[in-house]
Amino acid sequence: MSFSAILGAWIAAFLTLGIFSYLYRDNPFYKIAEHVFVGVSAAYVAAISFWTQIYPNLFGRLFPKDGPLAFTGLEFDFNHEFNILYLFPLLLGVMMLVSVFQKFNWMARWGIAYTVAIAAGLKAFGYLNSNVLNQVKASSVDIFSGSLPLFSLGGDSIFNNIVLVIGTLSALMYFYFSKEQTGNFGRFTRLGIYFLMVSFGASFGFAVMGRISLLVGRFNDLIEYSSADYNYATLGVLVFIIVTLGFWSFQNPERKEN
Amino acid sequence: MKFLEDLILKLGAVDRRVIFVLIGLAVLIPLLTPISLPVRETPTTVKFYDGIEDIPKNSKVLVSFDYGPSTRPEIHPMNVGVLRHMLRNGHQIYISCLWPDGIYMALDALEEITDEDNPDNVSTFDIKEYEDYILLGYRPGAEAVIKGLASDLRKVYTVDANGNFIDDIEMMDGIKNLNDFAYIYSGSAGYPGTFEWVKYGGDPTGVPMSSGTTSVQVNEVIPYVQTGQLIGLLAGMPGAAEYEKLINVPGIAIQGMAAQSFAHIVIVVFIVFGNLAFFIKQRRDRKY
Repeated sequence: MSFSAILGAWIAAFLTLGIFSYLYRDNPFYKIAEHVFVGVSAAYVAAISFWTQIYPNLFGRLFPKDGPLAFTGLEFDFNHEFNILYLFPLLLGVMMLVSVFQKFNWMARWGIAYTVAIAAGLKAFGYLNSNVLNQVKASSVDIFSGSLPLFSLGGDSIFNNIVLVIGTLSALMYFYFSKEQTGNFGRFTRLGIYFLMVSFGASFGFAVMGRISLLVGRFNDLIEYSSADYNYATLGVLVFIIVTLGFWSFQNPERKEN
Repeated sequence: MKFLEDLILKLGAVDRRVIFVLIGLAVLIPLLTPISLPVRETPTTVKFYDGIEDIPKNSKVLVSFDYGPSTRPEIHPMNVGVLRHMLRNGHQIYISCLWPDGIYMALDALEEITDEDNPDNVSTFDIKEYEDYILLGYRPGAEAVIKGLASDLRKVYTVDANGNFIDDIEMMDGIKNLNDFAYIYSGSAGYPGTFEWVKYGGDPTGVPMSSGTTSVQVNEVIPYVQTGQLIGLLAGMPGAAEYEKLINVPGIAIQGMAAQSFAHIVIVVFIVFGNLAFFIKQRRDRKY
């Protein structure tokens, strides 16, 4: 096992157990792990975004090899042709950056306005087509189709289609606020709440399942790092954290939770 | 009866750290002493498997790694399984990433399935870059990237992950946009991921697509399966375990299912006791 792999395992074990230590209470190990995560993530995304997008796609188009701006001495060969339109995003980007100075913070609004407008336009069609029209189409089912079985647990059936139609309509009606939800209408919308509750319950169940899966993943790694190949990284870090945390708790009793 | 009620009240008010320890043990013990529990395939997983089987042999397929280390335990086993399944059927794989660290997940997955000396062509393969697969790499921009791929892939990717010009790579011949792929798959952990691929990739182009998602997303993604916008779905680690069973290569997801089940039992028990304690306390408060 290489030195870098062993060092990586010790760091990974320390960060994982540092985050887990929060389950006991807020402590310096958790803070270290949290700050390292935030700092490294931000720096990593900034660096990779520059080298994979701004460098090849922006500079590569403004300063291509043998392009009209080659006289500046800047040349980036990414098989692009010169495109003057790319000055516009460069300008907006610079305007967003200079907004760190109080005097120029109005400049960021142009970039934000452009981004918001593009995002709104881009998302509107996609959302309408995929999440509205296709879903409405799929909800328009032939309830009493002769070709379907009366009941099926997994596939299409007459019973499932009835549940689908009633569930969709009652849940939608629950959000109709122009009529007081009383009488038969109120009973129908109450049915909609039950359908929504089932959906929320399923979401909660899936969320729990997801978190446990992640815990399984971390434990798998910790078990792997506890082997002799990694110089017992997990055990070493665990003992260190427990001893230090015990001492720290003893020194800081006033912070103990009730 | 009073003794039982008092016991339930005590269990309902147990320190949260005790619950953490019990859940930790419920996960740790089955991982240290593996227990084999039956895995039953759900219809969405079977549909997913059949969808990949239905791709004509030796096709060009796009696989997107849209996750990072934080969700690796759920998505990685799926993506490794999908790569194995696709390579078995002789497909050429084009790997894109909408997440910055997706490229490292892809490299890990490729390393896991590569064995140049003794490939069994079921779980390990003798694969060559630019012949069997190409790493297009990461591009920031989320839905804008997918929209770009749908109209002109070469505007989004002029170079691959190794910095080689796309135009010079033989495997890229005939690939102009998403319509030139037979299938799209996204292993997605959130934004950008499955939703964006459906809205800007699969739906506008009509190229068949499917996805593997984290458990948290399943409830929102599943309507796409019912409408046919997605051909099946791998839902979290259980979905990955079912898929591992279907492709007959048991892996880390199947190993994790016992731990998953025991942790769920502990959580359900505490939810039941918590609710019982709540109702008993409510009744006693009303009485006095």
